[in-house]
Order: sequence, then C-alpha cells, then structure tokens
Amino acid sequence: MANYGMALDYKNCINCKACEVACKEENGVLLGADSHRIWVGANDVKGEWPNLDIANASFMPSQCQHCENAPCQEVCPTQATFYDENGIVQVDVDKCILCSYCMVACPYDARYVDDRTMTVDKCTFCSDTRLVRGEITTACQNTCPTKVRTFGDLDDPESEISILLMTREHFSLKAHLGTKPKLFYLT
Amino acid sequence: MFNKILPHRKITIKALFEFDKTPFNIFMGFLTFILVMAFVVGVGNYLIHGHHAYGVTREHPWGLMIAMYVFFVVSSTGLCIISALGHVFKFKSFEFIGKRAIFGAIITIISGFAVIAFEIGHPVRMAIYNTISPGVTSAIWGMGVLYSIYLGLITLEFIFLSRNDHKWSTMFGLGGLVIGIAAHSNLGAVFGFLIGRPMTNGVFYPIYFILSAMITGCYLILLMYGYKYKMKFNKELTKFLVHIARLLGLLLGILIFFEFWRFLTAIYGNVPERADTALHVLASPNFLFGELLLGMLIPFFIILFTKAKAIKYLIYASFGGMIGIFFMRYDLVHDTLVYPMQMMKITEYQLAPTLIHYSPTWTEWAISLGAIGITLSFYYIGENFFFLDPIEHDEYFEDYQEIK
Amino acid sequence: MQVEISRRKFLQGTVAMTVLGGTALSSTNLFSSVHTAKPVTGDINFGTTKTGTGKITQVATLCEMCVNKCAAFASVENGIITKLNPNPLFPKSKNMLCPRGNAGIQSIYDPDRLKYPMVRVGEKGEGKFKRVTWGEAYEAILNGTDKFPGMKKILDEEKDNRSSFLFCAGEGMAEHTFKQFYQAFGSANWLNHASICLQTVSSGYGVTLGTYPQSDLENAEYIIMAGANRAEAIVTPDSMDLFKRTKGRGAKLICIDPRFTNTAIKSDKWLAINPGTDLAFVLALTYVTLTEELENKEYIEKHFNNYEQYKESILTNKYTPQWAEKITGIKAKEIYTIAREFAQAAPKAVYYPGRRSTFSKNDFQLRRAMAIFQALHGAIDCKGGLVFGKKIPLKSHEGLAPLYERSEARAVVKNTNAKVGEAGYDDCAVVSGGGSWLSWRNHYLTDTHPYKVRGMFCYKHNPMMNMPNTAKTAQMLKKMELVVTIDTMPSDTVMYADVVLPECTYLERTDPVKTFGGVEPSIAVRNKVVEPLYESKPVMEILNGLTKKISKPLFEITKAYDEDVQEEIEDSSEEEVYSEFDLNLPFKHTQEELNHHAVSMYEGAAEKLHKDGVFYPDMDKYFKELSINEHQYYPENKKAYSVRGGAPKTPSGKVECNIKSFAQKGVDPMPIWRDEYNFVVPNGKFKLLTGRHAQFTQSGTANNVMLRDLMPENFIWINKRVAKEKNIKFADIVEVSSETGKVQLKAYPTEKIAPNQVFFIHGFGEESDALTWAYKNGGNDNTVISDGMEPVYGAAAMHETNVEIRKV
Repeated sequence: MANYGMALDYKNCINCKACEVACKEENGVLLGADSHRIWVGANDVKGEWPNLDIANASFMPSQCQHCENAPCQEVCPTQATFYDENGIVQVDVDKCILCSYCMVACPYDARYVDDRTMTVDKCTFCSDTRLVRGEITTACQNTCPTKVRTFGDLDDPESEISILLMTREHFSLKAHLGTKPKLFYLT
Repeated sequence: MFNKILPHRKITIKALFEFDKTPFNIFMGFLTFILVMAFVVGVGNYLIHGHHAYGVTREHPWGLMIAMYVFFVVSSTGLCIISALGHVFKFKSFEFIGKRAIFGAIITIISGFAVIAFEIGHPVRMAIYNTISPGVTSAIWGMGVLYSIYLGLITLEFIFLSRNDHKWSTMFGLGGLVIGIAAHSNLGAVFGFLIGRPMTNGVFYPIYFILSAMITGCYLILLMYGYKYKMKFNKELTKFLVHIARLLGLLLGILIFFEFWRFLTAIYGNVPERADTALHVLASPNFLFGELLLGMLIPFFIILFTKAKAIKYLIYASFGGMIGIFFMRYDLVHDTLVYPMQMMKITEYQLAPTLIHYSPTWTEWAISLGAIGITLSFYYIGENFFFLDPIEHDEYFEDYQEIK
Repeated sequence: MQVEISRRKFLQGTVAMTVLGGTALSSTNLFSSVHTAKPVTGDINFGTTKTGTGKITQVATLCEMCVNKCAAFASVENGIITKLNPNPLFPKSKNMLCPRGNAGIQSIYDPDRLKYPMVRVGEKGEGKFKRVTWGEAYEAILNGTDKFPGMKKILDEEKDNRSSFLFCAGEGMAEHTFKQFYQAFGSANWLNHASICLQTVSSGYGVTLGTYPQSDLENAEYIIMAGANRAEAIVTPDSMDLFKRTKGRGAKLICIDPRFTNTAIKSDKWLAINPGTDLAFVLALTYVTLTEELENKEYIEKHFNNYEQYKESILTNKYTPQWAEKITGIKAKEIYTIAREFAQAAPKAVYYPGRRSTFSKNDFQLRRAMAIFQALHGAIDCKGGLVFGKKIPLKSHEGLAPLYERSEARAVVKNTNAKVGEAGYDDCAVVSGGGSWLSWRNHYLTDTHPYKVRGMFCYKHNPMMNMPNTAKTAQMLKKMELVVTIDTMPSDTVMYADVVLPECTYLERTDPVKTFGGVEPSIAVRNKVVEPLYESKPVMEILNGLTKKISKPLFEITKAYDEDVQEEIEDSSEEEVYSEFDLNLPFKHTQEELNHHAVSMYEGAAEKLHKDGVFYPDMDKYFKELSINEHQYYPENKKAYSVRGGAPKTPSGKVECNIKSFAQKGVDPMPIWRDEYNFVVPNGKFKLLTGRHAQFTQSGTANNVMLRDLMPENFIWINKRVAKEKNIKFADIVEVSSETGKVQLKAYPTEKIAPNQVFFIHGFGEESDALTWAYKNGGNDNTVISDGMEPVYGAAAMHETNVEIRKV
C-alpha cells in the first residue's frame, strides 16, 4: 500500500553499469543485448577533438518509469499489465499473450520479451525479489557506486524521496506525453 | 440436410481436380499449392523455434506478419463494404456481386486470423483472457472481439444469402457492415492511440483505414471478376466494372488528397520525431514505388485519363494496386516503429541509435505469403462448391442473366 | 511490509546455470555435510527465493574482483550463492559494489574454472594436461615427471641456491600467504605486479613525501586529475566521493587526459594533453605559482628541504606556460588559470596522485613534481588535501625467514651494488621490493642473469597477459624448466605451466584479515561463504600440503651443500636446526585462527568481523545510517584528516625537493625537463594508449559472462576523421602493428581521441582456448606494446609505443 518511485541524481552517474549487472543477477534476467530491464544511456560526444562538449555528454540511467498513467496498461487486451497495490506496473505472466502492443505503446523502450516464458518483461522495482522480503531498496539503487538512485514511497510525505522531490528541481522523460512517469531526474 | 442450411454443390475430392487444364489454370493451381506448402513449412519452423524464427526485435516488435494480418482484414472489410453497397444499400448494379464479395470477405479474414494466430505468442490464452479479464481500453481487445463477432455475422450473412433469405441476410449484412467498420477503425486506432509515436498518433489511421478498405475492396472485385471472366466482358458486365472503376477513382482521389495533407502536416514545422519519420518515409522506395506509384497513382491516372473506360488495363493495374496495398500495410507497421523510443547508446562500442532497421526472416515471408495460398485455396473451394453467383431463385437473377 | 507475492515463477538456480544451459556445479562438494559452513547470523525467511527454499543466509565477505576489496554480503540459498549485495559497514567502499563486484558470482560458477590439479603431458604452451590428485601434483613438483624436472633435481644441481626459483604473485588478500612460502623457501627472487603497475607513482611520492598518500575527495574543492580515470578505474572511496560533487556541486574537477574519458565527461573542464608530457604541465604550474607568489610561504618555511634550489631550477629553466603549451598542447592561458584557481582553493585542493602503470620514461620525475607542487600550497595532511590517514594496527604473526648460505642475492642487481665476483647489470637505478619484471625477464632471455634460475612459482598472476611484449613472455615460460601456477582460471600463463594447482575463488575461502588505513580507518576480513567447489583449495591449504611434501627432502639438499647449516647441526641437533627451516611452519594454523590472533587486542573484534566483516574501535557508537544512501562511519571530529600536523612522513619530516642520492645513480635529483621527453609520433603512425573501463579488471575478468554481456569485446579508438581517410568504418577489423608484434581487433571511430593517437583497453585477446568466452576475443595490447622501462625503478612504460593501423 504505497506508491513507489525513484529519484535519480543522474549527474553522479559514471556509467559503470553496476546497476545493470545487479539487476540481472537479482532478478534472473537472461543475458543478451536485447534482454535488459535497465540501462545507462550515453550520448555520442559532440564536437571535434580537442573541442568536445562536456555539458552535452551526460549519462542517463533509465528503465520502466512505472507511469501513473501508463500507456502499456491502457493498451493491454487481457489486463496482463496492471498496477499492483504499490503503484508498480507489473506484468502477469499467466495472462500475457505476447501481442506486443505494450512494447509498441511504451514511449521509453522499457519492455522486452523474456525468452523463457515468452511473455513481456520489464523492471518491476525488484518487487518479487527484494520488496517481497522486506527490503525497500532495489538492486540497482543498493549497488550504485555513486548513489545515483533514491527509491521510496511517494505517498509518504516524510519519505526521503518525497523530501528530495520537494526540495530539489527535477524533470521526467517525455513528460509532455502525460504518462506521469515516476522516475525523477534531479537537476 | 446440410444443403438446407447452406446450399452447395456436391463436394468430392475428385471435383477439385476437374478444371480446365489451361496453362494459366495449371499455373494458378501450382502457385496455390506452393504457397500453402510455404505456409506449412513456415509454421513448422515457428513451432520448432518459437518467436526466434521471426525477425522482430525489442525495438521493432511488430513486423511482416502484423502487416499481413492488416492486409487481410482490410481486404475483408473492403469486400464487406462493397458487398454491402449491393444488398444492404440496394445499389442495383452492385447486387449480383453480393455472395462472391462476402465469401471473399470470409476467406480473407480467416487467412488473416491464420497469420495472426502464429504471431501472437499465446493465442489460446488470448481467447480465454480476452473474455474473462478484458482490457476494455485496449484497441487490440476491441478489434479482436469485434472481428470475431464480424466473422460470425458475415458468415451468417453468407449463409442467408445462399438461402436467398433477404430479410435475414440484409440484417446480418448491416450488422456485419457496422461491426466491420467498427472493428476496422478499431484496428486503425491500435495505431492511432499510440501516444509515443508522433507519426502515427491521431485521427488519421482510424479514418483512412475505412477508405483504404473500400479501395482494396474495389481492387479485389476487379481482380475477382477479371479472373472469372478471363478479361472477356460483355456490355452489362463492362458497365458494372466501369461503375466500380469510377467509385475506385473517387476513392483514390480522396486517398491521394488525404495522404498529401497528412504528409504535409507531418513535415511542416519540422517537429522532431514526426518530421524525421515522415521525411524518411517519403524518401523510401517502399513508399514511392509501392504505395504511391503502384497503389495509388497508376490506377488513378488510368481511371482519370480513360474516363474509367480502360477496364482491362485497370484490372492489370489492380494487381499492382494490391501490391501497393500490401506496401501500405507494411509501411504502416514499419513507420510506426521506425523511430527509436530512446536515442542514447547503451554500450560504448556501438553506433548511436538511428532509425530502426527491420527485415523479415524467411519464416515470416513463408507464413505471410503462404496465407495468400490459403485464400486462393478457399476461393477455389468456394468457386467449386458454393454458389457465388446468383442462382435461379435469387432475387436479382434476371439482372445477373444479362451480365452473364 | 506485505507485498503480494507475484505469480512469477522462479527457475531453479542462478543466472549462471540457466544461461549456460548446463549444470555449472559439480555435486561433489556442494552439498557435502563433511564441511558445513559455520553458522552465520542474518538468516532471512520469506516466500520467494531463487531456489524455492524460502531461506537466505548472509555471509560477510570482501570482493576480490579488483584491488579495492569492497565489503559485500553474499546471499546463500541451499549452498548456492545467488546474489552479492554491498555491505554498508565498510568506510572504504561506502556501501556499493561495482559491476565486477556484482558479477563475482560468475567467477565461482564459471564452468571454465580450474577444478583439479593437473600436470603437463603435452608440449609447453600447448595446454595439454592430465588430471592428477593433490598428492600426485605435489609429487610432480618435488620429483618431476618425464616431461619436466622437479624441485629436488633442480635444487640439487644448483647446489641449494634457493634463488634458482622465482616467485611471482599478483595482488590479492592472500598474496601475503604466498609470500610466506617464498620467504621460508629462501629465494631472493620475488617479482610482483608493482613494476607493471604503480611502482613509479608510489615511489615518486614516497621519496618526496615519505609515503604514497590518499586524497580527501570528500572535502577538496579543486581537483586536478591528470591521467587518472576514476569514473572507469574505480578506486574506493575516491570514485564514490568525487562524482557526487563535480558539476557545480561543491568541487571543481579539472581533467587532464589525452582521451575524452568518462571522467572527462564528469569533470568541469577537460584539457587534452600530449601523452607523456604531464611533467611539463606541472613544471609550468609550479612556475606560475612561484612567479605569482601563490605558494604557502609559511608551510614551505617549516616543511621543505632544498626549496630554494628547486625554485631556482624552475625559474632559470624558464618553465613558462608558453613553453609548456608547445610541448603539451594545453593553452598557456589555461595553465595560468589552473595554477591560480588551485592556489585559491588550497589547502582544499588536490593534484591527484594517480595510481596506475607508468606512462613514460619521465614518470618518476613527474610524480615528484606533482608531490612538490601539492606541497607548495601546504595541502598535505589536511582536510581537503592529500592525507596520510591512520591505520588500525593488527598483531602480526611470526613468519619464517631462514638464511640459506648458498642462496644468491636477487637476480636484478645494479652494477655498482654488485658484490665482488658477482655479475650485475643496470636497467634501473633502484631495485624495489617488487622488482622489475621486464628487466628480470629480458635478462633471463639473454642469459645475463648472474646465476641460473630454473623454476618458478606463479600465484594469481598472469605474465602472459600483464606485461608488454607477449612474445618474450612466452619464450621465458617455455625456457623455464619448472613452472608451477596457482590460479582459479585456465589463463594464458596457466597454459604454459608444468603443474597447475587450482585455488578456490574468493567466495570459497577465509583470507587474512587486513587493516585499511585512511581518514576513516577500519579492519575488514573475508569470510568463507561456501565450501570450495570441485577439488580447489585456498592457497593456505595448497601450501600446507605442498610444504609438507617438499620441506624435508629439500632440507636434505641444504644439509648437503650449506656449510652454515652443517655447522649448526653439529653444534645442536638436526631437529633443532630443522625447526627453523621447516617450510610448513607458516601454514600450520588455519586462517581463522590467524585472524583471531591478529585482532585479539580488540574486544569483540573477532566476532564482529565474522558476522559483519568489518570492525573498527567505537564502531557501534560512530556508525549511523543518515539516509538510504549515506552513512556516517566516523563523526567529523574523529576523522583522521591530519596525523602529522601537516608535516610529510619523510624521515626528515620535510618535503624532499632535491634528492642527491639519486644523482649518484644517474637520476635527476630534482624534476627537470629534458628534450627526450617530448611527445613525438612519426608521420603516419599513432601513439598507442592503454587503459581501463569500469566493466573489466585487466585480464582477470575476460571470461566473465555477466561482464561480457555489457561489453562483448574491446575496440580500438581511432579518430573519426582519420578513420574516414582510411575508409575504416565502425566494427571494421584493423591490424595494429609495432616493432613488437601485431594484433587485430575491431575499430571504433570516435572524436574522443586525438588524430595521432589510438587506444584500446587492456585484458582482451586471450590465447587460452580453455577460456570459452575470452579465447581470441578482441585484441591483446601487450602483443604490441614495446617493453621499454622507466629508468628509476624499471617499471614498464606503457605509452611509448608507436603503431601502424591498417584496415584488414
């Protein structure tokens, strides 16, 4: 009974990819280029050596945004994609028919096909692995060397993440689409 | 007894092979056989390797098979609409095509379902959970449910048409038409509802689908009757075909008009994602040769410059037109997905993401084109065992006599 | 809190087992009840686990995937390690695990790992071995086989010259254990990774400031990081502290690097510099500081030796920024700005020492100049500057260091130090503890050692991959008559071994407790998480078994040739004398017993270390969780920023600007510039640079599937414009060739590197076909890098090779 989200102090990110490995190890995600729940994105550097653009070359970790108005949930024909009671967008493995509509509808490239179940998979905020045993941290947050991520309950006004979001400016990706993503990038 | 429900000729295997062994017919038979075999082999490979047999990727999850599915259901809806012009809206000159057109609608949608059954990962689950756990905001749910109902309605319509029961056939025909249009625009809405895809998002696809369905229907009618009469038309038939051609001309004109404004508004202002995709599409050979030239311009100009009179050329052009329609469907799927949702490199040693590349695997080609073989087989079966043309007790038999 | 357990079904076993399709585990030891893991607190019970058992046990360990030793908790379910999580209690790593730390699970479950002892049956280097028992392996080491001689034969023929055996080891927590074997054995030939790593930088600071310092990046306001890539070559806690504060959030980071690294991306300013010319940059900074009187005169007065001489040298040599601009490529304006900004921020300013293999021949002078520049501002031993920190002492235990009369001195000897009758040679001015690998190897190959070295013991070390000129290293290993390797993976070096002894991975053993000094010191230990798989053993047990076998027989040889020993036996008894020569002595205790002893003076330490892996005095009082991401280890007033009142740790207590003893050895006593240091690349060629990415630790991780998932192979960085000229596109195979050798790998056109330089990361291109994923994957830089050395310590100079690039 919470509403989980994540704040990212993305300027800390050094693109080491510890979060990617921790996610795959924690959640048993298969290896393979297409098969990733979370990733750190980097821009191709602008300019010509030695005049290169530092400001533009940033690292942006990203994953499923667990939108409050998720397009993936809206387009699922069997309600396999649903919001659980913690505000996490989940995929019910038994109901997913792999029509891939959610993969087309997601504006964030968050979804992929899990080859073992032949259903659509994505970040679950570690709900079946860590949250279920009482650890309110995600694998990616826990392992980050520069502590980019803060995971917590947005409905609790005194949680760390709520305070962070109230005291620091932030933005979300593709906010103009109205998906109400719950990943907040602190500036 | 079965004959009472649905009138048909005697069905024997032997009868299937009794046809005029002209070179063209043998070629058609052979082609059908090859295509059906291709379908079987493709499905076999899919059953062995699963979804990995397809060339769809994480960024491009829909491919040739979805495009083919759309191709078939568009054909089906189109034929349904054209057929409805006859016995629902009672345009006299369109009445005699009723049964054939509806039969065409049935077999094309069955072929479409055959393709999509192997594209959806868990089709049986779909049947179950679409019913007990429906996602009513999902256009795919709407489309799936509506097309299932649609199939039922047009089957019943065909049955009642065959029994010359015009009260029921008209009712089911109307129902089929309305549900068909609803289903088809839902299919367009599958793409139109995508907020993350600026090129596709919006009102265009739900609406344009109906228009292109009618165009496809016209092409198919031209092809069907061109094939049946081996391009030898008497005066009455020619008159009918000219009517179709004029209708087609009007629809093509509207389509060209729609597409023009669609692309112009997409490019105007150079809005990122939308303009990039639109310009990419406009420059691609799929669009220029397929959609534009074969699908729209050649038939349109033939109709325009010959005042719809060059029926033979038009029928040949319809074949190109169907290819053009195929490219319209393929482009529909590809254009929706061509612009990546995230533009950053996720590993150091890669090129920066550009427009997504997709090419279908042989399995996808086999199943998709093979499904055409299914359509051809069913058409042949229908031609042989059902009464696709008006028969004695049919209401408009007399009109048909003249045409025949 | 209750979370609805999802209906997601977990597959049995870990990712390792599912992905690789088959069982990666041998069943022999896994569920053995003979050695049960000691009961550990921290059991967690809940519904869904990866093995469906519903129970997780947490064991405190320290990562061994690189030098940092980050503290981790290993989650064990049903005897299988399913996850490694950070341990928040360790002040050095600050509650994190990098990608390699997380991927550590793959090292224990790698199907390619060494499982049992092996003995060579094919030709040397073929990699053909036959499996033997431990007893047979020890027997082969002592007495040899038909393919190679044993220790007994060699030692006998060499008349008990114990130095006829070389001992080399890589860095690790058990290196100390192996070194005990070397010391007890009595050889003088010890080589470790220092001369292919940070020997020069640590010595440069060592002779100038007394020790190699750390940097207080948590409080520094201005940092110059030249040639150190902390965003990719992660060092704890520096990487953790620094990148939270750059980009206008408290610290200004100036990144000086020929390449546009990830550190450059995270910095506030990046300046491209010609490789190997950092010394000119530092001298120019010093020039500005001195001419504009930005230095801390009070500090210099109190803590400098020979300052006036150094100042005169700087000024008379006219090391102006304009002069430096021509050499380095950095604009004079920038040098002025940096010098001024540094002075303004001092003493909370750091010219980051760096910690890596040597760039070029002037590295020693460079590090000295850097140390002096830092000290000019008094930013030594203070908050925000360079710090020495405190170390929590441990009780040491007795080792064994017997004297063998017949044992020759170290086979790397400076001519002037050579004893009468001893041949010597001079590749480097100083022979440090870690020796000079390249010098040693090259002299071995040209038969210019003063005596014969015929056998080698190699522990956790991969000479075939780690040092320049791979071809020569292969020759060396072929020539060595007895090569014994102790390793976890079938590396390229193991392929050249005669006897292969499998060590268990770090997750399967308890290692010596270690004290980690710094501003927030602590003690940490690695606890065994699961029993060793297959027949692998910790090096402690391996040496225990080996020494039991060889000690007595080899002592017989000593008795035969060593006159001192013969006398002593006459004076007392053989038993008494042997008790000082018993090689098994250091290995009689278990590691747990030794660890207990080491921390015995701290109450409760042993238990805390066993349960939580970390201990420091008053830990329970000081350690607090401030937020999800931040912990307090020591309160601010208890942090050891200053331990010397600002004074350096040199014997004199002063910063040594002019070291006259070096002059006698032919080394410049003060950092000065020489023209031979200029950056020169012949037309059409490229300077080859090497370095790291955060996803790999040199060559040790090349076979790790999780890490290869992030980056399948290494690519060579070529400037985009140059690539276009040569019609080289992304992923085209190119051949890189130098006088030393050639290698092929894929090309990565990028603007992140200069048009006359190329770069690719180290550690790929293995030739061992026993490594499924690493075999012939990418390119090995050491095939191409020339084996030049810097002249002071004989460390490998890695950035002095010019290469040609050709599209294949």
